[in-house]
Amino acid sequence: SQPMAGHQAAELQSKVVPSKQILHSDNMEMEPETMETKSVTDYFSKLHMGSLVYSCTSKRKNK
Amino acid sequence: RMEASCLELALEGERLCKAGDCRAGVSFFEAAVQVGTEDLRTLSAIYSQLGNAYFYLHEYAKALEYHHHDLTLARTIGDLLGEAKASGNLGNTLKVLGNFEEAIVCCQRHLDISRELNDKVGEARALYNLGNVYHSKGKNVASAGTHDPGDLPDDVKNALQKAANYYEENLTIVTELGDRAAQGRAFGNLGNTHYLLGNFRSAILAHEQRLLIAKEFGDRSAERRAYSNLGNAYIFLGEFETASEYYKRTLQLARQLKDRAVEAQACYSLGNTYTLLQDYEKAIDYHLKHLVIAQELNDKIGEGRACWSLGNAYTALGNHDQAIHFAERHLEISREVGDRSGELTARLNLSDLQMVLGLSYSANNSMMSESHVAENSLNGTRPRVGRRHSMENMELMKLTPEKVQNWN
Repeated sequence: SQPMAGHQAAELQSKVVPSKQILHSDNMEMEPETMETKSVTDYFSKLHMGSLVYSCTSKRKNK
Repeated sequence: RMEASCLELALEGERLCKAGDCRAGVSFFEAAVQVGTEDLRTLSAIYSQLGNAYFYLHEYAKALEYHHHDLTLARTIGDLLGEAKASGNLGNTLKVLGNFEEAIVCCQRHLDISRELNDKVGEARALYNLGNVYHSKGKNVASAGTHDPGDLPDDVKNALQKAANYYEENLTIVTELGDRAAQGRAFGNLGNTHYLLGNFRSAILAHEQRLLIAKEFGDRSAERRAYSNLGNAYIFLGEFETASEYYKRTLQLARQLKDRAVEAQACYSLGNTYTLLQDYEKAIDYHLKHLVIAQELNDKIGEGRACWSLGNAYTALGNHDQAIHFAERHLEISREVGDRSGELTARLNLSDLQMVLGLSYSANNSMMSESHVAENSLNGTRPRVGRRHSMENMELMKLTPEKVQNWN
């Protein structure tokens, strides 16, 4: 029957059309990843400039 | 003297990446590596930043390579905190590449070391990363299958449930730490996990928290994400009016933020929502807006979807002239992009319309003009032979609460 054919076509289509465009369910908006950071200045500061600058950079990093 | 030069290059790389120019930053970091240094901690920091820069540039194979170098170095020099960080970054990268099992091992290592060092911030971040890996794993397996979304196989359900547990654990710690930004991220992804699990009420509660925090920070992108996710959840609760209100706010913010792709998505969601509300004029209005942007962005697949939706909406209104126009356009685009099933759907639509109009209609040689005569007599009347019914099957198939009930 016609509605059945339509249904099957929709089933087929839903698997092929890229998710972003198809249905509400696939268009979830995720939060960003968080990456861990390292910095040459952390170590550099610690090594060459003493603790004052280091504590400043750590504070800045922790913001 | 060589040491200073490597350091100088790396510092410039850091400055550029912080300023948002990762591409240029990468060049300086790579130059720094070329020059080289005997200071392994500096080298570790350079590798780590190269990995992150490539991650943000979506060059994940390169990101993987550098985070792996960083991990090896951190282990070599016995830098435990450095090893934890490298493991976390490697885990995130492996997740994006779809290597979930290894990603879990890496993120678990990040977690274990953080606990060993009694580093609460690191622990919370590792828990968030683990939640993300399990979420991706669940979503990935779910979308690869042939089953309906709510009819989740056990492995998918288990992965998503684990993700929810990790987000909850993360929330406990970041709440203690008073880190609102981290709470916002965890609520957002927890909401999406509940959504996939079919716990739509819980999803809404989480996204409402996410929205609150986004407003606190004046973070309009996060606010827009929350509106969109809230709209999606209300669709599945069958509360279409509420969903349309949230999608309208999404649209408003997308326009303010001048993000055309997101604006298009919001219009598409609104078109679908008004279809569910059986307000086809409004549905057409939004699908047309979506179509214009899809064309502007040269998004052929989006254009095809728009034409398909428009064809259905015009059919529902009994405007077969327009319905045929968009069904033909859908057929053309499906052929163009090599979408075989889209092509099949378009052909079915056209043959349905042909039946409705009582025309001898062939998709191969006909164009609009051929349907004008019959169209004039039928325009504005709703045919007894309903495409509307099968259209609703298509649109509602995965959207209706009846369906949802079966999933739960």
